[in-house]
Amino acid sequence: MRTADAAPRSAQRTWLWGALLALPTAWMVAFFVAGMVVVVLLSFGRTTNDGFPVFATSTANYRALWNEVYLELFLRSLLYALATVVLSALIAYPVAYAIALHGGRWKNALVAAIVVPFFASYLIRMYAWKALLSDDGLVNSGLRGSGLGDGVTFLNTPWAVIGGLVYGFVVFMILPVYASLERLDVSLIEAGKDLYHGPVRTFFSVTLPATRAGLYGGVLLVFLPALGDFVSAQLLGGAGTYMVGNLVQQQFAEGQNWPLGSAMTVGMMLALTVLMVAYLRATATEARES
Amino acid sequence: MTGGLAAGASLALPGCAYIRDDAPTDPPPPPSAKAEIDGDLVYFNWADYLAPSVVRGFQDEYGVKVVESNYDSMEGMYAKLAAGNQYDIVFPIAKWVVRLRREGKLRAIDPDELENADQVFYSGSYFNDPWYDAGSRVSVPFTVYKTGIGWRTDKVSSMTGSWQDLWNDEARGRIFTLDDQDEALAMAALLLGFDVNTAKPSELQEMKELLVSQKEYLRAYSSDDINNMVGGDAWVHHMWSGDFLYLQQGLADDPTAFDFEAPREGTPINSDTYAIPADARHPGTAMAFIDYLLRPENAIKNMGYLYYPFPVKDALPAFADLAKDVPACNVEVSDLENENVFRLLGADEVQRRAAMWTEVKAS
Repeated sequence: MRTADAAPRSAQRTWLWGALLALPTAWMVAFFVAGMVVVVLLSFGRTTNDGFPVFATSTANYRALWNEVYLELFLRSLLYALATVVLSALIAYPVAYAIALHGGRWKNALVAAIVVPFFASYLIRMYAWKALLSDDGLVNSGLRGSGLGDGVTFLNTPWAVIGGLVYGFVVFMILPVYASLERLDVSLIEAGKDLYHGPVRTFFSVTLPATRAGLYGGVLLVFLPALGDFVSAQLLGGAGTYMVGNLVQQQFAEGQNWPLGSAMTVGMMLALTVLMVAYLRATATEARES
Repeated sequence: MTGGLAAGASLALPGCAYIRDDAPTDPPPPPSAKAEIDGDLVYFNWADYLAPSVVRGFQDEYGVKVVESNYDSMEGMYAKLAAGNQYDIVFPIAKWVVRLRREGKLRAIDPDELENADQVFYSGSYFNDPWYDAGSRVSVPFTVYKTGIGWRTDKVSSMTGSWQDLWNDEARGRIFTLDDQDEALAMAALLLGFDVNTAKPSELQEMKELLVSQKEYLRAYSSDDINNMVGGDAWVHHMWSGDFLYLQQGLADDPTAFDFEAPREGTPINSDTYAIPADARHPGTAMAFIDYLLRPENAIKNMGYLYYPFPVKDALPAFADLAKDVPACNVEVSDLENENVFRLLGADEVQRRAAMWTEVKAS
């Protein structure tokens, strides 16, 4: 009896899923896939003398990517993005932990308090940082006023850029870590405390492994936008903090070279794909082993 | 066009009107409209680039609405126009007038239709035949400005009146160069005695070395010149004349702590204009709006808001008064005639310049 009606029901279910998927699929094809196809096609294109990008079959844009300067920028951006990920994780864990385990009935309000500021445009928040951190800004005035030295040069340093990236994307680390901490059975931590005693050992032996999925997700969600960002370096950076995102943006604006910008985008996506596959494989293997 | 493939690709993607290779060159513009209201004004400008009181005044006097949208770059403005968005008035920078006119994207503006045209097109006016719009057929001048150096008089005492001041030892580490390809390259070109538009590889190489030598003096490349000065981060800033005047007259607690120089090697001069796109739906309202903005009292209100000089004859004394402490911020006829202007270059030239500028910033 059960096997008899399983087949039509699953067919029905397949049909339902198909219908539900049609709209988002069409949406993604029209606005995401088509956009990507144009970028890939244009990466083999050129610019007419009037400044119009046109499709062609040239590999000149890819050959132009083999430039020491670009490689250096990519490595610098990688370093900034990794630093952003590490700092974000260091901030996200205590925050998520406090809310998930000690938030009580304020949990939702606290999560909202974290998320709501991120409704303000990233650009606006970067400008706000600029006002706060400038040499005569609020923070430095406060330092001087309280006699804590002569003020600190925050702006236009690599640290300002990384700080801006952390501020920009830390919420993408907090939320997944919070979600996995929420699901965590608190009795595990209590058991861990009984077994390992110290809170530090308990954290590393019980809490961290149990919330790994959230952390891994957060790492990707922070790393990817941080690596491609150009706003932080443009507004908070100095003469030596130019990032890959700035390079790409430049090609689509003043540089008047959409085809080269497209090739850079494709090259960057390929590099990121390799990094991501390596990362996913490594984390999957680790998950299997433990 | 390199043949069938490019055409085929364009056909396969009919949505990409922007990606094309058959731009017409300097066709006769569609005829001028009369300055008669023919609908609400669809206005497309930089954000906050006219005094709100003037815009409100136009709405009240003519009983129309001004529907505003903004662009954040000339490239963005151009892309929106090229994609077929319809606006009644745009505010292109000089070299973009050249491009838009050449591609037939602007409507003629007949000065005889404007009551206040004699404020900008009088006998002997530079704007009767500006370099970017022969015979002033499709544009009306809006503002003019120059690029120079602003500095903190309370921090730096060794300015010399040369672009070399962007290498000032006293201000080392607190110097900013504009994050702007044309401006940064022009500064280097003027120091070396080259044309500000140069794209000669040998000259670009010399300019690159010069700009790289500046990096150890620089705090950053940034076009946020006003905030960098107000926040105390910059002691010496490559900056636009109007931004300086706004900083000094409009923002500073102590205006004497700031000064501005127009370096002796020459300064880039630029102009913003009023223009009416060929496919504007309400060109008559746009004409009335331009006429309204040319009234000296409105130009004066706008100058008091933007701090950039307007070449409106009866408003010139008001600007001279606004800039009386820093006459270097004013733009004289002689400045205009020097023609250190950013011309419309071929894509290969722009790309060569961009590649050099990228390497400077990335090095």
